[in-house]
Amino acid sequence: MDKKLGVYICTGCGIGESLDIDALKKVASKEFKAPVCKTHSWLCGTEGVEMIKADVAGDGVNTLSIVACSPRVKYDVFDFGPVLMDRVNIREQVAWVLPAGDEDTQMMAEDNMRMGLVKLNKSTPPEPYQAENLSKTVLVVGGGFAGMNAAVGAAQAGYPVLLVEKEANLGGFMNKMNKRIRPPYKELKPVDLEDQIKKVEAEPNIKIFTSAQIEKIAGGPGVFDVTISQNGSSTTERVGSVIQATGWKPYDANKLEHLGYGKFPNVITNVQMEEMAKNGKITRPSDGKEAKNVLFIQCAGSRDENHLAYCSSVCCLVSLKQATYVKEQDPEAAVYILYKDIRTPHQSEDFYRKVQKDGGIFIRGELNAISEDGNKNLSVEASDALLNETIQLEELDLVVLAVGMVPTSIDETALNLDYRQGPGLPVNKYGFPDSNFICFPYETQRTGIYTAGCVRSPMETAICAEDATGAALKTIQCIESTAIGSSTFPRSGDMTYPEFMMSRCTQCKRCTEECPFGAINEDEKANPLPNLTRCRRCGTCMGACPERIISFKNYSVDMIGSMIKGIEVPDADDEKPRVIALICENDAYPALDMAGINRIPIDPFYRFISVRCLGSVNLVWIADALAKGIDGVILLGCRKGDDYQCHFIKGSELANTRMEKISETLGRLALEPERVRVEEISINDYDRLPVILNDFMARIKELEPNPYKGF
Amino acid sequence: MDQVVGPKYGSRGGAGKAYNQSFAREVYRNVDSGEEIKMCMQCGVCAASCPLKEKMDFSPRKIFTLIRAGQREKVLSSQAIMLCTSCYSCKVRCPRKVPVVDVMHGLAHYALRQGYKPRAETALFGQKFWGNIYRLGRIDEKDVALRYFLGHGLGQGIKLMMENKNMGIGMLWYKRMKILPERPIKNVKSLRKMLDKAKAMGKGGAV
Amino acid sequence: MGDKKSILIVGGGMSGLTSAIEAAEVGFDVVIVEKNPYLGGRVAQLYQYFPKLCPPNCGLEINFKRTKSSPRISFYTLAEVEQISGEEGNYQVTIKTKPRFINDQCTGCNKCAEVCPVERSNDFNYGLDKTKAAYLPYAMAFPMQYVIDGSVCHGKACAKCVEVCNYQAIDLEMQPETITLNVGAIVWAAGWNPYDAVKLENYGFGQYANVITNVMMERLCADNGPTQGKILRPSDQKEVEKVAFIQCAGSRDENHLAYCSGICCLASLKQSTYVREKNPNAQAFIYFIDIRAQGKLEDFFVKVKQDEKLSLVKSKIALITEDPATKNLILEGEDTQSGERIRETVDMVVLATGMEPATATVKVPAEVAYDDYGFIVSDQDQKGIYGAGCIKRPADVAGVVQDATGAALRAIQSVVRR
Repeated sequence: MDKKLGVYICTGCGIGESLDIDALKKVASKEFKAPVCKTHSWLCGTEGVEMIKADVAGDGVNTLSIVACSPRVKYDVFDFGPVLMDRVNIREQVAWVLPAGDEDTQMMAEDNMRMGLVKLNKSTPPEPYQAENLSKTVLVVGGGFAGMNAAVGAAQAGYPVLLVEKEANLGGFMNKMNKRIRPPYKELKPVDLEDQIKKVEAEPNIKIFTSAQIEKIAGGPGVFDVTISQNGSSTTERVGSVIQATGWKPYDANKLEHLGYGKFPNVITNVQMEEMAKNGKITRPSDGKEAKNVLFIQCAGSRDENHLAYCSSVCCLVSLKQATYVKEQDPEAAVYILYKDIRTPHQSEDFYRKVQKDGGIFIRGELNAISEDGNKNLSVEASDALLNETIQLEELDLVVLAVGMVPTSIDETALNLDYRQGPGLPVNKYGFPDSNFICFPYETQRTGIYTAGCVRSPMETAICAEDATGAALKTIQCIESTAIGSSTFPRSGDMTYPEFMMSRCTQCKRCTEECPFGAINEDEKANPLPNLTRCRRCGTCMGACPERIISFKNYSVDMIGSMIKGIEVPDADDEKPRVIALICENDAYPALDMAGINRIPIDPFYRFISVRCLGSVNLVWIADALAKGIDGVILLGCRKGDDYQCHFIKGSELANTRMEKISETLGRLALEPERVRVEEISINDYDRLPVILNDFMARIKELEPNPYKGF
Repeated sequence: MDQVVGPKYGSRGGAGKAYNQSFAREVYRNVDSGEEIKMCMQCGVCAASCPLKEKMDFSPRKIFTLIRAGQREKVLSSQAIMLCTSCYSCKVRCPRKVPVVDVMHGLAHYALRQGYKPRAETALFGQKFWGNIYRLGRIDEKDVALRYFLGHGLGQGIKLMMENKNMGIGMLWYKRMKILPERPIKNVKSLRKMLDKAKAMGKGGAV
Repeated sequence: MGDKKSILIVGGGMSGLTSAIEAAEVGFDVVIVEKNPYLGGRVAQLYQYFPKLCPPNCGLEINFKRTKSSPRISFYTLAEVEQISGEEGNYQVTIKTKPRFINDQCTGCNKCAEVCPVERSNDFNYGLDKTKAAYLPYAMAFPMQYVIDGSVCHGKACAKCVEVCNYQAIDLEMQPETITLNVGAIVWAAGWNPYDAVKLENYGFGQYANVITNVMMERLCADNGPTQGKILRPSDQKEVEKVAFIQCAGSRDENHLAYCSGICCLASLKQSTYVREKNPNAQAFIYFIDIRAQGKLEDFFVKVKQDEKLSLVKSKIALITEDPATKNLILEGEDTQSGERIRETVDMVVLATGMEPATATVKVPAEVAYDDYGFIVSDQDQKGIYGAGCIKRPADVAGVVQDATGAALRAIQSVVRR
């Protein structure tokens, strides 16, 4: 494409009063030979916009630099269709935070403009990645309640579904379920599994595989190739996206010997209780006599650091349900519930009240000891927190342990992903698939693969149904985004993708190891094999690559490197240090904008470069910057660690690791390691931001000016 | 006897108090509003709402949990159930709408029927209070107080009167008490008939 | 999907935004109707989310970015749905907008607010401070467009803002507008309101200055709040040293909201970390019935309760009174574990007030089923109009996102079916 550059400088909102606009224009016309360079006192007004439109339509301008406010505002006004455009922020970042008419203010504005124009120089319009033979089919792994709901959800939106269940029948745990507890939580409801299954079977868009397993999932969104084994034979099908709805397993009660399990026949789990209720009578396993005295022990293994540290959420409701079974069998039966906290959130509190009304006795406390007499009656000693006494529950027919839920994702073989980074979804410390929790709980670390139901977190059936429906939406969304070559969350709509110049690859494996989404496989010679539909366009691979062979059309190592080179570095005698701040566009950039909106002064010696994620920061930029006389580099990114806030999961963490290695480079240049710093910042830290910046600048000023200035 | 000991706590040396539901059932069946205590979730709002909280040996909440635990003797011999003055703070605030006042009265009556005795003080006051109502159909504060004080014997009665002198003056000053004796309400005889009937049904009388 | 009808999303908070963006990114046109002058709803007013103690604006920023980059999302602010007729696949909807008095030519330069002589109570900060009548709802507001509060503005008689605005953005004669839309499905995500704490008579809210609610506490702690993030109590702007949180303030209470509001336990645990972080000498008390920290949120509970200066007491406080001299508050209750009486004097009380669905007061102007408490019932047979988020049950942010994503698919199904 032949670029014709148009530079449009707004002088409104205080910009004109703050800056020497003619000098700015000179940067465009002299340094960058911009054929068109215009100013307007109200660029976002109709007249200003029409002026630009006329140039695009009549004058052939196809590369636009809008030198005005932050790109976070007036995005809808400055929209000129399929042209290359860049926004240079001289309002929030310059005119609103630096003294008007000052030399340093002017220098910052000019450098911002230089960087923007270099960026345009180094960009080409994106051409979306089009994979071939795309499939719009959704694969649902797991035919339990969540899986069935997900399948029906996608099917009714018009998408073909493959539903794979490892057992002979659909329904999962519901096959064992006696009754359901669900809104409006006034009474127990039938499970109605047959109806559910019929609904799935009646759906023409759903193809069901029972007694089947996933042998392998290769490829990526739109082009997943799934090998399904069933009755000894295998078939391979192409699908667009995947839902893992493989559910949960009860916590292994054999580990709960201290609660009498495995030792006394009349100590059973809530799962056994459910099956017993479904099969008819609730009896003592020891002698088959009807159970008249029943104790439920809550948090059996849950909320216990020796077993499951988390709360399994549903066990309170399950025990309330099962207490109702006992009372329905015999209203005179005694039901005790030994609990730590009764957790019946939202409207399900109603069911707690119902069981109280039916005469359930709730004891807040913990079990001290359990014993059995010659007739296999159980006796439990507990500390009752509300009586503040040790109590004894005698002649119990049955003790039901409310055991918690363990996600099946702990076992990685459900999906058998043919991914370099492993066959399962990356999980958190409890084995639940990790996600961009809190705001984007569906976003797993594997593009196009979503989780639904209790594999994701313990949840009651009504919520499970909604959850599965939501997961179904995400799968069809991924399919549609992939079809147009667009990225999925969080860079939705981004049409760029990483291109690998393979001839220069040294097989160092950094990109394949560091991709947070497992998008890059490897061949046997360790060459990267990118699966571009898995890519989220964060640029982590680009940051990792020491050979600089990975580039996006509008984001590359060369581009940022050239932008840095474009910054004017004053001589050491001028006592005007230059520090580059590489800032995450998701949080640090808006925080900087907020400082602008609040007119909080920013040090004028910084030059801010917004990056897709700190994970995309390539060490070469820092080396180049320092080699050119830049006095320091600060990286501002999101929180890392267990409670990471990075939307690309590992970006800020990787940046930290990489910067630990920068001292080597600095050593080679004989520069102090303090010249590079990484700071965590959140979007709300706009008042802390200037403090961080000033602090770093003070440190830089303590050092001698970078001796490489002028080279 | 085969026993497994929990790892965290361990048995506190021998059996604790045995829980059983027979007393709870007895209360549900025999005590006015007794069944309502099933709904108690042990929040304790009743306890702190009670103006007599400092005088009570157990709070209403604790009474309810003792009932569930089957601690019959402790409940029926407790002074707390005899002390309720029907201020209704607990009942109004109870998040589960347990009619705490009614249950406490119900328990008191049940305890009396079962032969439990209130403290002499409480009984004396109740007796004088009841007498006043029966006679006048209303309360004459100075009359009740006088009779109650003198019920302790003359010397002690005068001492009590002196101790409460300021309260009496205050009540007069704020027109909470009249100097002249109260007159019976209209048709006090009909009221007496009702009270007699209630007593015959086991629902009234001095506690 | 070009020929398909749009989906109407009522409410631009976390649920509505999620439903809208998720559906739009599948390829459907959506229209958001929001009654506030900005999108983001109640989460925009929060200081941090539990359990990560991270700023809500972070996720909102991503969502606003997705909104900006999607050509399929349009929205009306200061707008409410007045009428709905029709059926699944074909609804006629009447929307009424209130005048903003500032049009989209606004550049956010702040000149109007600088010259505006009138002040108004700042509803974004629950009345804890004031803004000018011409104001930006909050620094990160989306859209970044000022608004004039017509109820206090002196109108043409003043018009100082009109004089200073270089961008012809102010129109003091702007009128309410009525818009009609034809849509295929409706997602009702009108959210929740904090339960009116004035109704909790024994707690003295509205009567004692230093009794506040949990939503106010968020603003008090927020860096962009009325006290720039310092926890200063309302009566004398003194930094607090002893703060009590009262759980189930209105929730799990048949005299008020009989259900559990689900999030208040975690919210108070979270707010206790604010108190402790901002003043390391401060003490916090949480009075609770049960602590409901579900799933892995239990970790947060376990972590927070290790703090020695936080006391967790199982007690429903019965009465709060004020010491008129110090404006300190005296709490009375029973520690139900020890049976001891509680009489604690604190600087400030935070009532963990619960969530009431918006539909408890304003119903959907169409046939929709509600439960006993006014929440929209999630009924699979009810097609075309779907509840999303806290209009269905009290839930935390992750729960709301989950639910709203599901609602988006149901809406898509409705549009596809016809």
